[in-house]
Amino acid sequence: MPAYDFRRAEHLPNLRPEGRPPSPEELPRQRNGVTPQMHGRYPDYNVLDEADHWDPVTRRMVFERVEKPPPIRFFTGAEAATVQVFCDLVLAQDREPKIPVLNMVDAKLFAGELDGFRYADMPDDRETWRRLPRGLDAAARQHGCPNFVDASEEVQRKVIDALAHGELHGEVWDELPPSRTWKVVTRAILSAFYSHPWAWNEIGFGGPAYPRGYARFGLGQRESWEGAPAFERDPVKDTQG
Amino acid sequence: MSRAHEVRTLLRGALRPPENDSAFLLDVHRRAVSTERMARYDDSHAVDLVIVGAGAGGGTLAQRLARRGWKVVVLESGPFWDPDEDWVSDEAGSHRLYWTDERITGGEDPVELGKNNSGHGVGGSMVHYAGYCPRFHPSDFEVRTRDGVGEDWPISYWELKRHYERLELELPVSGDYWPWGDPHRYPHTPHPIAGGAEAAVGGAEKLGIMMKVGPVGITNGSFGNRPHCIYRGFCLQGCKVNAKASPLVTHIPDAIAHGAEIRADCMVTAVELDDASGRVTGVRYIHDGSERMQWADAVAVAGYSIETPRLLLNSTSKRFPHGLANQNDQVGRCVMVQGAPHVAARFPEEARMYKMPPPEISSEQFYETDPARGFVRGFAIQTVGPLPIEHAQHVLGHGHWGQALRAYMRDYNHWYTLGVLCELLPLPENRVTVSSEVKDQNGIPVARMDYSQCENDRKNIAFAKQTLKDIYEAGGAQDTLITDRYAHLVGGCRMGSDPERSVVDSDHRAWEVPNLFLADGSVMPTQGSANPAITIMALASRLAERLDLKRLDGRSASSRRFPGRRRTAPSPPRDPRPLRAGSRTDGS
Repeated sequence: MPAYDFRRAEHLPNLRPEGRPPSPEELPRQRNGVTPQMHGRYPDYNVLDEADHWDPVTRRMVFERVEKPPPIRFFTGAEAATVQVFCDLVLAQDREPKIPVLNMVDAKLFAGELDGFRYADMPDDRETWRRLPRGLDAAARQHGCPNFVDASEEVQRKVIDALAHGELHGEVWDELPPSRTWKVVTRAILSAFYSHPWAWNEIGFGGPAYPRGYARFGLGQRESWEGAPAFERDPVKDTQG
Repeated sequence: MSRAHEVRTLLRGALRPPENDSAFLLDVHRRAVSTERMARYDDSHAVDLVIVGAGAGGGTLAQRLARRGWKVVVLESGPFWDPDEDWVSDEAGSHRLYWTDERITGGEDPVELGKNNSGHGVGGSMVHYAGYCPRFHPSDFEVRTRDGVGEDWPISYWELKRHYERLELELPVSGDYWPWGDPHRYPHTPHPIAGGAEAAVGGAEKLGIMMKVGPVGITNGSFGNRPHCIYRGFCLQGCKVNAKASPLVTHIPDAIAHGAEIRADCMVTAVELDDASGRVTGVRYIHDGSERMQWADAVAVAGYSIETPRLLLNSTSKRFPHGLANQNDQVGRCVMVQGAPHVAARFPEEARMYKMPPPEISSEQFYETDPARGFVRGFAIQTVGPLPIEHAQHVLGHGHWGQALRAYMRDYNHWYTLGVLCELLPLPENRVTVSSEVKDQNGIPVARMDYSQCENDRKNIAFAKQTLKDIYEAGGAQDTLITDRYAHLVGGCRMGSDPERSVVDSDHRAWEVPNLFLADGSVMPTQGSANPAITIMALASRLAERLDLKRLDGRSASSRRFPGRRRTAPSPPRDPRPLRAGSRTDGS
């Protein structure tokens, strides 16, 4: 039985009661290549199978992302532990395989690779990232927890939701506008996660497209090599944890 | 429409553009522009003109004046790109195409800079623009007279028309017959469109909204050594194919062939003024860590709406203690962006919006003022094709994080996105200043941009968003996500007929400095609902003509034909077509 008919949109949070997303465990497991947590909307599609069709400069760069996750050099050990929990929750990376988002963000901050602007009421992005873990701890303490890492997942989620809605107050947050902080940190987190080929596998994105290009553009069409969505759960693979 | 232009557009790209061989000077097998025979000027000798910035304005101006025998040096802060080696077919990996030095953004409705609107390197922001090349409407030049808001330009549409026509052949622009503004045809036929765009056309038709294909600066057919588009969808990441127009491929090759020097990796820090005469003498710049001075008889600044005001404001002297050409406190004022919300819509079938150039179809049906809408001026509708990272930001902007974000993103292939460009009005308090505290790596104060919307702006954006939502609902969308954002930058040093309310006159010359010109989008008094690239180029093309007609005193009496001494003396090729096997693909 298919988990969903993807022609219908009933799996989209906006169209569900209280905006709650469906559990990804209802999807097939990835059968070819890797997706984060192995959720398989396109279970037989592995964009890395197409690497021979990419130009060498792009290919080198994408493979480096997969094969050489950079070490943590910007964050301290304690900061990294807090930010790791934060990134995992924002991206719902609740088990392996995980895209090493923290390492990718750390590398950009360590290299000083910034985005070309900062809000007048915000410090330098690097300073924002330094204050984030302190701010998360402060918010967790307001819920009676010792810090963010040791708080329950429920509290952690409440803190993140308040950050996303600009509703954190006190200590760090009296000087750091929470809604802008959310914008700054999620910009880097999303940029890391959705630049990784494992995420491309999950969403069925074609990936690098030079020099091959595309030829089929109609609704419901795909190139011969592009992944088909699949609803069928494999009776053997999909029942293994 | 001029007779000659009519003949050319009927021939649909079968003719090469007049006086610009760029497309034929490119190599068939490599994307990089050859600089082997580029002139190298000794910076201690004054050239006729030094241009700051090698983007839409600077690149076009350099090509035009080099053709007319001027000794031109273009100083560009960023690199001279080799698309084969420097660019990638990847969203996150294209970070270095953007201006990423620090800038501060403030005001009530602050504007995201960097990737969103600021380029870096030879070709400027056009390296990563989508490719839309619509003309301004005649009404854009007389907004104050017609609607009582904004400002009138000191020139009319009709003074730019010839230049638009010429540039449409040079880029070249492909698209449907254009019924809006001053109706016109395009030299290249429209590209095919994807299924998602078809759905939007269908929805729009039900509401009586006409959508047209194009206009885009992407070859559609034979054009010198520029290949056909391969529809890979990475226009915003730099066109590795050389199919999309940017000055790097449309004007820089011809400029070099005619003796212009494009000096990359040179950050200009100040325009130098001779306090006694009140004329500028050249520019200071930093190259490889050391400061140098390029002397010139005239200076044209083309650093775009943030760096141009920043450079002027940082160029202080006895005569101009508050910044060059800023006696009337006009430098940096009336900087503008367009309201550019995206509306993404979900369809039962996969649309895979990452394919095809993001610019596919557009409508200017709402461009002009309609009193019934409750605000003045209007907006244009266009397609956009966000790649995964950008789409993820839209999803997250709706408050979906964690499993909800992942669920939406797994659904990426079912989404298609339309955007609008809303004309936001020029307001004097929206301005670029320089920071008193923050300096860049060269010790130069960075720019700060403050931006707030007015009531008319908010009404325009709200109406435009609702229109897009209606189109999608009529087209059968199952869910929509609306994201507020801005696009483009213009203004900041506007042209005008009153020195009290503008920085330059109708010939782009600073009111207060006779041999200082501004040659970029910063001179635009209003912005219409059109993407600014081709208008910036058309303005530069017109400026070149004005300068060369010597109606202006841009060149001092001492500067005659060949005042500068070259380190090497290149002879521009007599036949500009490279004598390589590839030249047989020549479209002429």
